[in-house]
Amino acid sequence: MEVKVNLIDVWKKYYLYNIFHRSLREDLVNLFKFKGNRNNLSKGEFWALKGINLSVKKGECVGLYGPNGAGKTTILKLISKVTYPTKGKILVNGKVAPLIEIGAGFHLDLTGRENIFMNGAILGMGISEIRKKVASIIEFSELEKFIDMPVKRYSSGMYLRLGFSIAIHSEADIFLIDEILAVGDEAFQKKCIEKILSLKKQGKTMVVVSHNMALMEKLADRILYIKEGKIVESA
Amino acid sequence: MYKRLKNYQHLFLIFIWREFSIRYKQSSIGVLWAMLQPLSMMLLFTFVFTYVMPIKITDYPYMLFFYSGLLPWSFFSSALNYSIPSLTNHYNLITKIYFPREILPFSGIAVAFIDFLIASLIYVLFIIIFKIKITLQIFWFLPLLFLLFVFIISLSLVLSALNVYYRDVKLATGFLIQLWFFATPVFYSIDKLSVKLKLILFLNPLTFIVENMRRCVIEGRGVIFWQYLIMLFFVLTLLYLSYKIFIHTEKRFADVI
Repeated sequence: MEVKVNLIDVWKKYYLYNIFHRSLREDLVNLFKFKGNRNNLSKGEFWALKGINLSVKKGECVGLYGPNGAGKTTILKLISKVTYPTKGKILVNGKVAPLIEIGAGFHLDLTGRENIFMNGAILGMGISEIRKKVASIIEFSELEKFIDMPVKRYSSGMYLRLGFSIAIHSEADIFLIDEILAVGDEAFQKKCIEKILSLKKQGKTMVVVSHNMALMEKLADRILYIKEGKIVESA
Repeated sequence: MYKRLKNYQHLFLIFIWREFSIRYKQSSIGVLWAMLQPLSMMLLFTFVFTYVMPIKITDYPYMLFFYSGLLPWSFFSSALNYSIPSLTNHYNLITKIYFPREILPFSGIAVAFIDFLIASLIYVLFIIIFKIKITLQIFWFLPLLFLLFVFIISLSLVLSALNVYYRDVKLATGFLIQLWFFATPVFYSIDKLSVKLKLILFLNPLTFIVENMRRCVIEGRGVIFWQYLIMLFFVLTLLYLSYKIFIHTEKRFADVI
């Protein structure tokens, strides 16, 4: 089977403090130093990921499970190219739809319908493609009545519904799903799970992050337990 | 640059449309605001140099003279004002979804350009009212506009990227743009200045652009070709370097912002 996502010995360093605690003077000094300290930590730095190896095949659904701050979301961010690894290599083969945080691209002053266009384009859809899908997106979200209302007046559940509906309509090959099923009522949650399962049947590749073990077992082909930036166990 | 943006042209269009609709959503006179800024500045300068400090600046009608400088200047200053904070304003997108980041400053520039087009209508109106004789030299306006565009794009790439790292950039540009205004021949012409002063002012690329934009439209004078080539070379080099810096710093935007 074709490998869709491949992480080879990936390390990621983060700063503990806000970057502005470093001064411009320090930065200028660092600029003239050789950048040989990739492997070591300086003051105020920590490893968010320590040598992650992960390969996901086409049509596979991998679950990431672990305590808060273990590095699950960082892995998703690396796959979606939002951030880059300090060391190691990441190969992604196909279009990625990050559902890292649903509705991240919403603008509060725009209506639901306008935000469908906005968010769809951010997820890489073309304008004509979105036009074709608008009706089906609205139908899936069950927000027909509120779709021309500015999203600042939406409840958080409505917000989630719209965001999920848009994301799920993207033509991506690889879906990154981060803890999005935690919100929303039971009926909608069920609908989402069914939709995810049907995407899986279509051969879409998925990486799912969740704290809900029962749900993960339902969705994922294998579950990786991540702790302090390392894959501790896989099942 | 083209290759990176090819698949995202729709996103670019939607960003422009969004900026525009948000800006004028709850305003009653809408796009007229785009004309108001250069118009009010023009009236102020005309008032000052006619009544407060009556100095002979030019033989052309003051209103027209000032407006011809304010038009490119407003494009420059509002483009920078929109684009420099554009990355930091969208931190919620940058930390979550990948797309070529330069789309954000570019859509700021595009919005300023639409304002510029609207404000140009008044310019055309003035040219007709004051019965200015148009010559073929007016075609120089487009290559000059191209220079202005490239210059604006370069500056906004570097400054918006730097602003992600140091918010000082936004604070500094606020007043630097004000200083820059006086170093640009908007309300004066470099024609009557000494050669030494001219050379100093030409260190500012906007001097060349703004002065020649005025000459080719209302004075019917052409642009000296070798000077244009030097300027072109200069702004294109600047663009190349700025884009390099942008691409280099982009990788850490999400971690730093």
